[in-house]
Amino acid sequence: MRVLSRVGVPALIYLFLIAMLIFAVFPVFFVIQAAFRPGQSLYSLTLSLWPDKPTLDNFTYIWTQIPFPLWLRNSLGVSVGTMVAGLIGSATGAYALSRFRFAGKQMTLILLLAIQAFPSVLALIPIYLILKTIGLVGSPFGLVLAYMSIALVFCTWNLKGYFDTIPRDLDEAALMDGCTVGQAFWRIILPLSVPALAVTALLMFLTAWNEWVMASVLLLDENTYTVPVGLWGLQNDYRVPWGYFAAASLIVSLPVMALFLGLQRYFRAGLTVGGVKG
Amino acid sequence: MYRVRALTTLSYLSPMIIGVGLISLYPILYNVYISVTNQNLYHFRHYTFVGLTNYQSLLKTVDGDFFIVLLRTFLFVAICIPLFLGLGMLTALALNHPAIRFKAFWRVALIVPWAVPSYITALVWKFFFNGEFGTFNQLYRLVAGPHAGLPWLSDPNWAFASIVLLGALQSIPTDLYEAAAVDGATAWRQFWRITIPLLRPAILPATVLSAILTFNTLNTAYLITTGGPFISAAKPGATEFVMVYAFREAFQLFNFGYIAAFAVVIFFMLFGVTLGSLRFSGLVREEAR
Repeated sequence: MRVLSRVGVPALIYLFLIAMLIFAVFPVFFVIQAAFRPGQSLYSLTLSLWPDKPTLDNFTYIWTQIPFPLWLRNSLGVSVGTMVAGLIGSATGAYALSRFRFAGKQMTLILLLAIQAFPSVLALIPIYLILKTIGLVGSPFGLVLAYMSIALVFCTWNLKGYFDTIPRDLDEAALMDGCTVGQAFWRIILPLSVPALAVTALLMFLTAWNEWVMASVLLLDENTYTVPVGLWGLQNDYRVPWGYFAAASLIVSLPVMALFLGLQRYFRAGLTVGGVKG
Repeated sequence: MYRVRALTTLSYLSPMIIGVGLISLYPILYNVYISVTNQNLYHFRHYTFVGLTNYQSLLKTVDGDFFIVLLRTFLFVAICIPLFLGLGMLTALALNHPAIRFKAFWRVALIVPWAVPSYITALVWKFFFNGEFGTFNQLYRLVAGPHAGLPWLSDPNWAFASIVLLGALQSIPTDLYEAAAVDGATAWRQFWRITIPLLRPAILPATVLSAILTFNTLNTAYLITTGGPFISAAKPGATEFVMVYAFREAFQLFNFGYIAAFAVVIFFMLFGVTLGSLRFSGLVREEAR
């Protein structure tokens, strides 16, 4: 009995963890092996975990034969645009919500919460109709506007949450000593918030970088596609060019995955505050 | 908290307020307006005011699309919650067992799914579930013979179960992994008497959040099954959850007015849940001070 609990329980726990690990990591492994697999050898009735003759052909193909480099550039532009505009647009507002006392503050917070609770898929419908009216459907600028509708609220919540954790005595003491509100914001709050600003920026960048739904509706022309739309367009119900899809997926997602996993401790607060959006 | 001149407050708030007002709030209000018009594919430019007709057609019959889709989504969430919560708790406890080595490795490896873009995950799982070439059936053939195969996505009940399993695995609240590590958990009695009560503040918000995320599932279901399999063209498919239904109605069938009304109803439900859970955890009261 005692032997059982000394050896058996840890063994069971390891078994369970390994099962969870397979679920978590096998899809990633699958993409990696598919990227190096020649031709259509994935379409087989028997299991094969690693290609017999690994090749880099898929990488050369996506880089030279399809507009993948262009999609990368579009994604980069849209994501950086969303990130920068989101942060600049929200920082001072978040500061006011965290520190100032004013009428209508609770109203503003509840309104922000309500907007946050409106699922982005549903918000996409009026956004699409408005952009259609002003002729911005199909333009990357319209897509950035659509992403901003999520980004501003998200960044405001996130930054306000962080500003709240900075001790009030700090800037209140500075104000006593005759520094202006603007100086308190620029010289005290912002420098102390660099990690939070960086994480919020990165989360915003990642959201835009990985977003498929809005981009698939708002982008019409292959030359304006972002990576997710372009990649998803490579396949149809009958055929998935796995090699190309996997090679491209590795290029776009390995760097951001590394960033995400490396910084995941800092993401925790951000994920719980802003994660309500679908 | 300090008082500043109204002008200062206004100048600090205005970039955010103007931005949010124009690109977040205005579309939502515009959505309410569309919901009382008949805008659709045939009346795209010349639509007219139709009052509450859309809301009526949404709610008039109990076996209408709205209730089918809503109930199916509730069922989906209701099965997913105990699954992801149970798996999450088990993992958190396992990670904290004294016999387990390399805890940092496990912790990072197990949150990998959160880092993979969902459109990639969706395509990979679609392939795993593929009847002919999918990994699951390749494995199944090892035990059941060369011509066997399970209808992972082609049978309505199987497809629902497959998406439930995937949805639950994907929405495990990983915050629990860290929370359990701080609190410590070993024996069974300690688990119920000490660990669970200690974890409650971490479990509740994480559960609500994961439940809302699951309710809002679009990519996992739409990209893998497009809401199907469909038994009849007039009824929603077996995995056509709320957001999948909204997306298909809006961007494949172009029933804008109808789906705008749908959005308004769904929004009030979600906002109610959000507000309720926040009030419960004391966040709103704290803000009111």
